[in-house]
Amino acid sequence: MKKQIKYIICLGLGVGMISSSCNKELLSPVPQTSVSDATSFDTPARVANQVNSMYQAFKSGNFYGGRAQIAGDIIGEEFLNETTNLVTGADVWNLNPTGTSTNFVKNMWAQAYYAINICNLFIDGMAAKGSSVVGATLANNYNGEARLIRATIYLKLLQHYARPYADGNGSKPGLPLRLTGIKESGASALARSTVAEVYTQILSDLNFAETNLPLNYASAILNTTRAHRNTAIALKSRVYLAMQNYPAAITEATKIVPQATAPFSATTGVAHALQANVVNVFRAPYTTTESILSMPMTATAGDNPGTQNQLGFYFAKSTGNGEFSLNPSGIIGNAGWLVTDARRGFNAVVSAKPYLNLKYNGGTPFTDYAPVIRYAEVMLTLAEALARTNAGVNAKALALLNAVRQRSDALTILAPATQTDLINAILLERRIELLGEGMRNFDLMRLLQTIPAKGTAPAKGPADAGYIWPISADEMSLNPLMTDN
Amino acid sequence: MGVMLFAGHAMAQRTVSGTVTDENGKPLPNVSVVVRGTTTGTITNEDGKYSLALPANAKALVFSSINKSPIERQIGIASLIDASLKDEDKSLQEVVVTGYGTQKKKDLTGNIASVKGAAIANTPIQSFEQALAGRATGVQITVPSGVLNAPPVFRIRGTNSISLSSQPLIIVDGVPVASGDFSATSAAGNALASINPNDIETIDIAKDAAATAIYGSRAANGVVFITTKRGKSGKARVSYNGSVSWTSVYGVPEVLNAQQYTDFKNMAAANNPNVNSTNPAGTGYTKFATATDANGNLIDTRWADIVYRQGLSHDHNLNVSGGNDNTSYYFSVGYSDQEGIQKKNDFTRKNILFNVDSRINKVLTIGGKISYSNELNLQSLGSGSLSGEAFSTNGAGRTVFNTAPNVGPYKNDGTYNVENGTSFNSNTIGRMNNSVTVGFYNPVPQLDLNRSNSESNHIQSFTYLQLKPISWLTLKSLYAIDYLFVDNEVFQTPVHGDGATLNGNASSTLGKNKRWTWANTAQFDYIFNSAHTVSALVGNEQDRRTGLGFGLNRQNLSDPAFNVLQAGFVTPNTAGLGFGENYLLSSFGRINYDFKKKYYFSGNVRNDQYSAFADKASTFWGASAGWEIAKESFWENSGLGNVINQFKLRGSYGKVGNTAGIGDYGIYSTYGSGLYGGLPTLLFNFAGNPNLQWETSSKIDVGVNLGLFEDRLRIEATRYYNDIKDLILNVPQSPSAGVPNNIPSNVGSMYNKGWEFSIAGTPIQSKDFSWNSTLNITTNKNEVTALAPGLTEILTATSLETVSRSAIGFPLGSLFLVRNGGVDPATGRRIVLNKAGQPVLYQFVVPAGQFQWTNPDGTQYKENGVAVGITQAKDGVMFGNTNPKIYGGFDNTFRYKNFDLNVLLTYQFGYFIYYGSNAGLHDMRFWNNHVDVLTAWSKPGDVSTVPRPVYGDNVSNGSGLPMSYNAFKGDFVKLKNVTLSYTFAQSLLNKAKISSARLFVSGQNLAIFTKYPGPDPEVSSNGTSNTAQGVDRNTIANGRTILFGLNIGF
Repeated sequence: MKKQIKYIICLGLGVGMISSSCNKELLSPVPQTSVSDATSFDTPARVANQVNSMYQAFKSGNFYGGRAQIAGDIIGEEFLNETTNLVTGADVWNLNPTGTSTNFVKNMWAQAYYAINICNLFIDGMAAKGSSVVGATLANNYNGEARLIRATIYLKLLQHYARPYADGNGSKPGLPLRLTGIKESGASALARSTVAEVYTQILSDLNFAETNLPLNYASAILNTTRAHRNTAIALKSRVYLAMQNYPAAITEATKIVPQATAPFSATTGVAHALQANVVNVFRAPYTTTESILSMPMTATAGDNPGTQNQLGFYFAKSTGNGEFSLNPSGIIGNAGWLVTDARRGFNAVVSAKPYLNLKYNGGTPFTDYAPVIRYAEVMLTLAEALARTNAGVNAKALALLNAVRQRSDALTILAPATQTDLINAILLERRIELLGEGMRNFDLMRLLQTIPAKGTAPAKGPADAGYIWPISADEMSLNPLMTDN
Repeated sequence: MGVMLFAGHAMAQRTVSGTVTDENGKPLPNVSVVVRGTTTGTITNEDGKYSLALPANAKALVFSSINKSPIERQIGIASLIDASLKDEDKSLQEVVVTGYGTQKKKDLTGNIASVKGAAIANTPIQSFEQALAGRATGVQITVPSGVLNAPPVFRIRGTNSISLSSQPLIIVDGVPVASGDFSATSAAGNALASINPNDIETIDIAKDAAATAIYGSRAANGVVFITTKRGKSGKARVSYNGSVSWTSVYGVPEVLNAQQYTDFKNMAAANNPNVNSTNPAGTGYTKFATATDANGNLIDTRWADIVYRQGLSHDHNLNVSGGNDNTSYYFSVGYSDQEGIQKKNDFTRKNILFNVDSRINKVLTIGGKISYSNELNLQSLGSGSLSGEAFSTNGAGRTVFNTAPNVGPYKNDGTYNVENGTSFNSNTIGRMNNSVTVGFYNPVPQLDLNRSNSESNHIQSFTYLQLKPISWLTLKSLYAIDYLFVDNEVFQTPVHGDGATLNGNASSTLGKNKRWTWANTAQFDYIFNSAHTVSALVGNEQDRRTGLGFGLNRQNLSDPAFNVLQAGFVTPNTAGLGFGENYLLSSFGRINYDFKKKYYFSGNVRNDQYSAFADKASTFWGASAGWEIAKESFWENSGLGNVINQFKLRGSYGKVGNTAGIGDYGIYSTYGSGLYGGLPTLLFNFAGNPNLQWETSSKIDVGVNLGLFEDRLRIEATRYYNDIKDLILNVPQSPSAGVPNNIPSNVGSMYNKGWEFSIAGTPIQSKDFSWNSTLNITTNKNEVTALAPGLTEILTATSLETVSRSAIGFPLGSLFLVRNGGVDPATGRRIVLNKAGQPVLYQFVVPAGQFQWTNPDGTQYKENGVAVGITQAKDGVMFGNTNPKIYGGFDNTFRYKNFDLNVLLTYQFGYFIYYGSNAGLHDMRFWNNHVDVLTAWSKPGDVSTVPRPVYGDNVSNGSGLPMSYNAFKGDFVKLKNVTLSYTFAQSLLNKAKISSARLFVSGQNLAIFTKYPGPDPEVSSNGTSNTAQGVDRNTIANGRTILFGLNIGF
């Protein structure tokens, strides 16, 4: 009996040990088709690919791959809505989107904050581990890119979801300022910081970026699609313009537009300059030195803006869907913008209506790069800032204005007589030069101007309801500290 | 002469005598008659008579005989005591499977219902669950449609999860098996079809925590134990079971014929001033006209005849079993070829099973099982009835009632009637003489040329080694594999249909689902002092699953004559990529104790570690107790003991978990690959929950089992309560948090409670005629008690339409609809009720000066001074629950001599169905309509349920605005199964050397008594979804079957 019991116990223990001791590692399977967050900063290649992912999120068709620029234009008076399709912004054009409007109000907010979170997770991950993996220089470069992208996103969000800085000097409600990465639930609640606080963060990020970004990259395409020092400087000029801080705008822009007279170009970092033919900026390979930052597109699925998000789809009629035609009462009606101006060549009459037909004319699969900022804008920003801070007609401002005009219309010499005329001429030139690049709303908001009526859409003044967008309804329902506009 | 036995102390004695007979009155010899509690006794003689001298304190006599149920008789003052013995009720001597072991049914304190394999054999099913409806309390089965081999909705005591599966754990011969639909095509592929129903011996369904806690983290939905047939020692027995059956569709809605359709649609077009129904040269000219075929006859197509057929099926099973004292085996082979009610929907299974058990010596037993099954699930035209298919363009269910009857499948020249690449909508059915498109796809070229098939090769095998070194200790080690290889093949022709825009589309994908299980147990069984029965079990188990998938999708044929994946295509893509793995490591124990079969106690505990969860180990347990009052001496001595022979009180409580369907990597946050201008990115794309845990269900079960008149009448009543917590819900975060997905979190809670009653008996029992009857009644109340912060409701879509809403305080998956107020007799407009219940009228076409939404007096409808319309989000109400409140079955068997008649009725009461197809049947676009539109409103004063027909109106019918016009009570009583059989007499068979033969004819779904206007109130457009039951949107109906069969034993 005893022997039998011993025998049983040994057998039982043996079987038990064999079966329970091995295979413990099977309890913690490692995902084989994706990288877990525990190891995503383990190699330099993974870190580099995460840098690209921040741009990928920024470049979504719902944001700077298309809809961010489109929103910036269709709010203004230059375009008329042709398709009354809510999916393609009919309510944004009509200045009456609601918090539940999915296609712009909700989707742009969600995509922008997703991209912000990607940047925040990257910055946190670099501090925890990634910096030691790639080394200090690259770490600074990458962190510079992360903060620049984040700053650009906040800047764009402020233009649509918050009152302009000029309205109360930035004291009005701004945005929830997310600055740390979130991977878990429970972090939904965050109140809005003021507009001024958001601008302060933007500038802090761009200043860091200016200090830490590389001067340039090895190829033209990288210089166009990745941030470098001059990118930060150019964006800072845009930020200070938005804040009506003209002296600071001058300081920044002068860093890359240092000359007193034409020809103007950046003398440090990437040598940005106006192209002889403005059309080349918008044609393959889209990587001239005039483009400071553009979003690249290819034919591969997932690497282009996606259906009904593309700039060409909205503005081109021959190669796109012509969602919006040009308003004859808008800038194209300006007599001073001569027919012989090269920029008129972007416009065409199709089916008896004028369209911005040829700026983004790639057609399917819409691989036109989506512009974020280019040198001509920085020149005009500097011109406006100089004009506003100097009495009379500032010489460099006038030179910058004429450089932009004469690049496309060699025969016209603009000669505004007064400071006011100069400022107005510069504002007009911005409308001509940057048509379809998402800047009209930016210019109207920063100056607290009335959004003019167009077609059947009403005008809206800065005191009217709906001057800026409402907050996404999803944010209102899920963030208990959020307040609507 | 009787033999008298004298006990030890013979005192002045009484003598008692009598006759013992069987239930038919025949005298029984050799029956033992013993004074209870003593060894004093005698046996009956060949006339069944006995005579016994009683000791002084004799209280009762016990009559017992082999294969007969023992009975007791109080002696009292009588001197003549007769007894009638009936055949041992095997159901009480039977064992049920309880997980890693068995238990006698009468010793159970947990709640386990048993269904015999014979009840489901020889029925026209593909997998066993389809035949379980109405056969056990607490079990609700819904066959979702007539698509062959679709997994039925299988609910034990209500729906027990929201995001995970509510289907129970299936254990076959002690091994957990794959279940669910493994097909990736339009054919359904239920993995449980690999178990040939004719090979099943018993199905034991464990419902409460005490019975299921031995399976711990997987037990919250109940556990179903399948035992396949095993050999018995003796001469080899061969049996053949075969059947042939015919299945037809029933309940197809009656739609307009060609002339009615043409006239009705032209009338509706004339009612819409925005439609050009008069100027053939103008744009949008809308005119319907009939056409004639090549012989000059009017084309009047009944599309139901094109899509449906009478399916012919046959089923053959041959098995041989036998053995000697040491080894027994069971071998079976089966072939089943079934045709569904939809053309080209077929199911073919070939399977082979071999079970062997061999006792090598006193200590060692080995055994094993090999089972291989090949199933072909075939489909050409999508049925539109599987989950996610409700609005498929090519769905057969919808094609039948929305395609115009005044066009035919072929043009007069014999080619397919399709529009191709002209100014008209190409790739739609040809419009013939109509001026507008009158259908989506033409089903015929798809039926002829498309394939959407899934083939499963399923190997389920195990081997075990059992040691019994001492009589009270059994050690067993069992190793099992379950390999399921699924081969999906889709071909879509470039001629017409979904493949036309792609110029031909072919996909082939392979899914490899492999699983091994290794369980070791030690079981201790001992009876102490003839009173204390103790049984204890300890064990451990490992369960490892891997799932791999890969495949090809190719598009754009280089030659239209090709129709296989391997031919010439232009565009290659990958398809069907999948990678998953998980691992479960457990240890468990159980103790069963009873004292003199009067007081029972049992406890289970299991510790599970699962790779998909954060807190790697969790413990689950269940305990139960029972009291067999009828065994108490006070009961036996009272008069009640003569009437009530079993009176068991039982109760159980425990906590079990649910993991069914959880993803393998939910605890990880991951980065996926993408592109930025052609360069690789690593993008954060999933936020996991590193604290993810099991769902936990606390179950209470209290019940009583009564046996009366020596178990001639058995009553069971149970009260159950499942309190489910930590339900996994995908909780949305605020967008500014920037998280890419809703994070799975353990936040929800829900309960199920109700009653179960089972009344079974033999009201009539005589030599030539008997009647057995069983009535099952189960009630269920389900309520969601908590969701998540920010998640106040869960809306679940049926593809493009959402009518299912789950919210706190309501049953899961209730219908969320705008209330219908009828049709206004003055204007013919649809009336709907706003949130406050006030009527609002709707007109599709708005004449100048009028409004789309008006009050009954014609003024514009406004809320707070603003003109708005009625919307589902704003004005919808929780209209009704979709899970039945009462359900069950009524099973009766009548036997007259050699004839048996079995009638099974199933019923479900207290629930609603959203008959979405009804919206389609009243859609005023080109869609064909139900004949009741002929009674539509036409002039002021008309009273009708159908509003004034206005061409293009898809709001008044409930398509654009889901409304209660299409919601109906689903209550039904179904004549589920009627079987008439004749068992040949032994004398006849002996001449042919056949040991048994039985002929039978049966019918399934012969009649439904219901007010539901749709085809069948047992329906689901959303498969086994938890939150979207009770929706019938474009499903094909169920089939009605007549079957002839034969069982022969040799």
